[in-house]
Amino acid sequence: MQEQLRRIQEEAAAQLAAITDKSGLDALKLKLLGKKGDLTLLRRSMGQLPAEERPKAGQMINEVVVAITAQIEEMDAKLKKIEQEKKLAREAIDVTEPRAHTPIGGVHPIALVQDQMLKVFTSMGFDVVEGPEVELDLYNFELMNIPKNHPARDAQDTFYIDENIVLRTHTSPVQARTMLTRKPPIRIVCPGRVYRADEVDATHSPVFHQMEGLVIDKDVTMADLKGTLDAFARTLFGDDMTTRFRPSFFPFTEPSAEVDLTCVNCHGKGCRVCKGTGWIEVLGAGMVNPKVLEMCGIDSKEYSGFAFGVGLERIAMLRYGITDMRALFEGDVRFLSQFRDD
Amino acid sequence: MRVPMQWMKQYTEIPVSAEAFQDAMIMHGTGVEGLEDQNEALQNVVVGKILSVRKHENSDHMVICSVDVGEEEPIQIVCGAPNAAEGILVPVAKAGAVLPGGIKIKKGKLRGVESNGMCCSGPEINVPEYLYPSVGDKGLLVFNEDYAPGSDVRPILGVDDTIVDFEILANRPDCLSVWGVSREAAATLGTKFNKPEIKVDTVPGKMSDFVTIDVQDTDLCPRYCARVVKNIKIGPSPMWMRKALNAAGVRAINNIVDITNYVMLETGHPMHAFDLSKVKDQHIIVRRAYEGEKIVTLDGKERDLNTDMLMIADQTNATGIAGVMGGEESEITEESKTVMFEIASFDRASIRQTTRTLGLRTEASGRFERGVCAATCREAADRACQLVNLLGCGEVIEDVYDCYPNPKPQTVVTASVKRINARIGMNIPGEEMARILTSLHMQVTLEGDTLTVIAPEYREDIEVEEDLSEEVLRIYGYEHISSTLLRGETAPGTRNPRMLLSDKVSEILTGKGLYQIYNFSFISPKLIEKLGLDANDARHNTVKVTNPLGEDTSVMRTTLVPSVLGTVSLNQNRNNETAMLYEIATVFQPVDGKTSELPHEQPMLCIGAYGPKVDFYLVRDWVLDMLERFGVSCEIVPGAQPYHHPGRAAKLLVGDTCLATVAELHPSVMNAFEITKRTVIAEVDLELLGELRCKMGHVHSLPKFPAVTRDIALVMDETMTVGAVLASIRKAGGALLEKAEMFDIYRGAQLGEGKKSVAFSLAFRTADRTLSDDDVNPLMKKILTACEQDCAATLRL
Repeated sequence: MQEQLRRIQEEAAAQLAAITDKSGLDALKLKLLGKKGDLTLLRRSMGQLPAEERPKAGQMINEVVVAITAQIEEMDAKLKKIEQEKKLAREAIDVTEPRAHTPIGGVHPIALVQDQMLKVFTSMGFDVVEGPEVELDLYNFELMNIPKNHPARDAQDTFYIDENIVLRTHTSPVQARTMLTRKPPIRIVCPGRVYRADEVDATHSPVFHQMEGLVIDKDVTMADLKGTLDAFARTLFGDDMTTRFRPSFFPFTEPSAEVDLTCVNCHGKGCRVCKGTGWIEVLGAGMVNPKVLEMCGIDSKEYSGFAFGVGLERIAMLRYGITDMRALFEGDVRFLSQFRDD
Repeated sequence: MRVPMQWMKQYTEIPVSAEAFQDAMIMHGTGVEGLEDQNEALQNVVVGKILSVRKHENSDHMVICSVDVGEEEPIQIVCGAPNAAEGILVPVAKAGAVLPGGIKIKKGKLRGVESNGMCCSGPEINVPEYLYPSVGDKGLLVFNEDYAPGSDVRPILGVDDTIVDFEILANRPDCLSVWGVSREAAATLGTKFNKPEIKVDTVPGKMSDFVTIDVQDTDLCPRYCARVVKNIKIGPSPMWMRKALNAAGVRAINNIVDITNYVMLETGHPMHAFDLSKVKDQHIIVRRAYEGEKIVTLDGKERDLNTDMLMIADQTNATGIAGVMGGEESEITEESKTVMFEIASFDRASIRQTTRTLGLRTEASGRFERGVCAATCREAADRACQLVNLLGCGEVIEDVYDCYPNPKPQTVVTASVKRINARIGMNIPGEEMARILTSLHMQVTLEGDTLTVIAPEYREDIEVEEDLSEEVLRIYGYEHISSTLLRGETAPGTRNPRMLLSDKVSEILTGKGLYQIYNFSFISPKLIEKLGLDANDARHNTVKVTNPLGEDTSVMRTTLVPSVLGTVSLNQNRNNETAMLYEIATVFQPVDGKTSELPHEQPMLCIGAYGPKVDFYLVRDWVLDMLERFGVSCEIVPGAQPYHHPGRAAKLLVGDTCLATVAELHPSVMNAFEITKRTVIAEVDLELLGELRCKMGHVHSLPKFPAVTRDIALVMDETMTVGAVLASIRKAGGALLEKAEMFDIYRGAQLGEGKKSVAFSLAFRTADRTLSDDDVNPLMKKILTACEQDCAATLRL
């Protein structure tokens, strides 16, 4: 009996090793463990043994059954795995094969920089305010301390609808409207479309976009203005950016400053874009002229404020290396599809 | 404004390089556009003496010169000038010289003969005849004095200066002068401004012996100052004056005219010189123009005048436009003997109005528009007379005419040191502020915190404390401004509702693959006409620009469609296979057709799309999906605008109001816009969408019981819309009908001509139990009846 068991085990081992598929394994399982399988028959033949030998023989047979069952299960798992691998191999696809699809579109580059700038300023507590593009002379000029016969009002700069109605030349009238209706503290940015009678060329457009900011509160200083603009420059163009203030003149601010930004192209080393100076002019800014505050109903003895204005086309052109402003208003999808938010 | 460095240095020490000077001026408030170093241009150009001239064998107009240029050996130069002659001194560009215009001089051969340089004419080295009178355009410039061969030509010809091109700010007309920028230079560099002492040697005489002047409109002419010079000897002005004028970009003409220009550049006061013998009756009247009066100006044009314009006139006629252009008859000529200098101050606004109305601008009018100080007129008049003395070109009459009835009172500004520091965010001591303001020629007293300041009369921009804060800050240095963060409440700011709405629209549409475009807000009215709108359509009624750049930008858009179609057309012309575009912008509608009121500005969305995968349904579903995201559902009904394909156009209604339209473009409008591929456009009223959008409510809990589904196919006329049938189904299905969707349309011979079979999938469900056939069957019957009655749609068997 022992001999028989050993032979069965050896044969089983040899047969298992030769099996390559599930049907072979099933046949072997039947041959060994089925109703008429070798081990089943052997177990049945135990009755012929003397009674005292039976428990030991039963134990021996059981051990072999357990061992072979384990081997068969192991082989079964192995075969299943092989089978799955074959299936997966058959299902392989060419992942580089292009498929027709509609790519995600994109917002206009001006909208993109406007959005990035608004994120900076709203995070600093600025509310966004918009106003009419066709505007009263009163708000566009008079309240900005640009009286009649000021050079900026020449017909060559301003589009007129009527004697008293203009296409706004800046978004400042939104500041005036806000000051007249809100009480300080005021912290707003006014993005929007503005108009100047400039012929179209690579750097000029009669329609362009601005964002102006206005802060009015007690004890606002020129240093606060610089801090605010520094933060803006860093967020939009990188941590190594800073601003440089130069004296300037605007009727609505006093003192006034032209604000230069570290050249975004060379990071201040000097290059073609900045004409070797390391700086590029991007902004006009200053402390709000007390005449403007008073005209807009704010006590200039109690409150002070700053204002700044930046051209979005200029920022977009610098940020994205656009050399011709006309591309922004042309709408060629090959141009528009290059922009993404980052 | 071009200012020669050497001219400034007469009045102010400038102990730094030109580049450092430029930087300092920019950083302290005087803009500089650039520097021009004349010396850079004429390197290696020297005085050469032509030793001999011989014929060139291969040329009948060129000669071979041997020229002494101060080197050991003479050099050989081939020259084509007709006046090349033995013994003359001429400018010689040696090899290596670069002449104006970038011409590089090299050794070489001319028609086979070696030539080692170039003998130059005046124009070739940018020396005009008025600067160094020589032979005109007849050949080589010939030096008229003896100079050693090899000498640098630049100092001899008066082209050895550095010119600073200043960009003067609008509030500083006083800086439009050599004295003005020299004063700024002194304050900037910490040096001293030395104004020349002005003394005039005169001969006795009364003004009335020579001229009588009657200023009738002192409101437009606050000051009129005149001096007379007799026994004039007209001739060229001296080299130093010609050189200064040339460097400043002004032609030298003769000594008297040059003096007027020199004084204008130096003091900022435009001057006019009259030949008194040619002034009718020697009587000058300063008055407003008469109604309907005309004048022929120096440029030969007849101009219509009005009563807001100030004239210089004789008893009968206007002879010149005050501050703008003088009269031809009284111009200085070679024969002039007695001259009157006019130095006046005219009203800025009036001059601006006059130049705008006449379309006539001159150097003088430009200065008067920006402001010429009345208080310093007399000084400028005397400076001119001092120069007459210096040049010895006439005798200055002792008497002076000076009509200045209302001298402007001095402005006294009081300021607080503390408040100035608070404004600029610094801590500059009062003493330092006083020092800075004094360096700007202000009279300053400091008592405790209070600065009391009297600004010089030419500083009309100094009116209040804030003006002083800028003066202090700019001289102290903007680079010292520190960088602080805003204090106070720090709640984040918010975007306004309109922007939040358009941000969301953009987010949805870009997700669908659309690109945003920006177009100009003004267009040609012809583009609106191309849409083929009814004659009385409100979109013809535009807001018009009175002074447009051109017809193509002359009216404000009443619709975004023409601009978007323009962009579509551009993309098709450039062979872009697909373009799916949208624009969000304002359209402008006059209120009650009036131009005197602000128009209504309405935010609109316009989509324009074409491409192999673009059709009406794609665009419609973009719009519906978008509206869905705003919680707005609408009814789709057929309906076309005149520019729409009449059979492929829909209106999206909310109640009775049209929120949006979607349509294929009408073929004739495609032609009008040169569009060749089928294009779908959609318009959405964003103002209305802003009103209709609603906040999301609570979610429904998921159903516990299964739905009962039924599919039906209904046969109907081709003209019947699926939307109408679905509406009938939904109405009849009532509350238990959870979902009704179309899933197929079939057309075939057995249905008959003009018929279609539409298949719908219906699902019924209720929240508290599983529905049975007994629940659903009556509903199905009701639905079928409704479809038959409302839509003539019958169950397909």
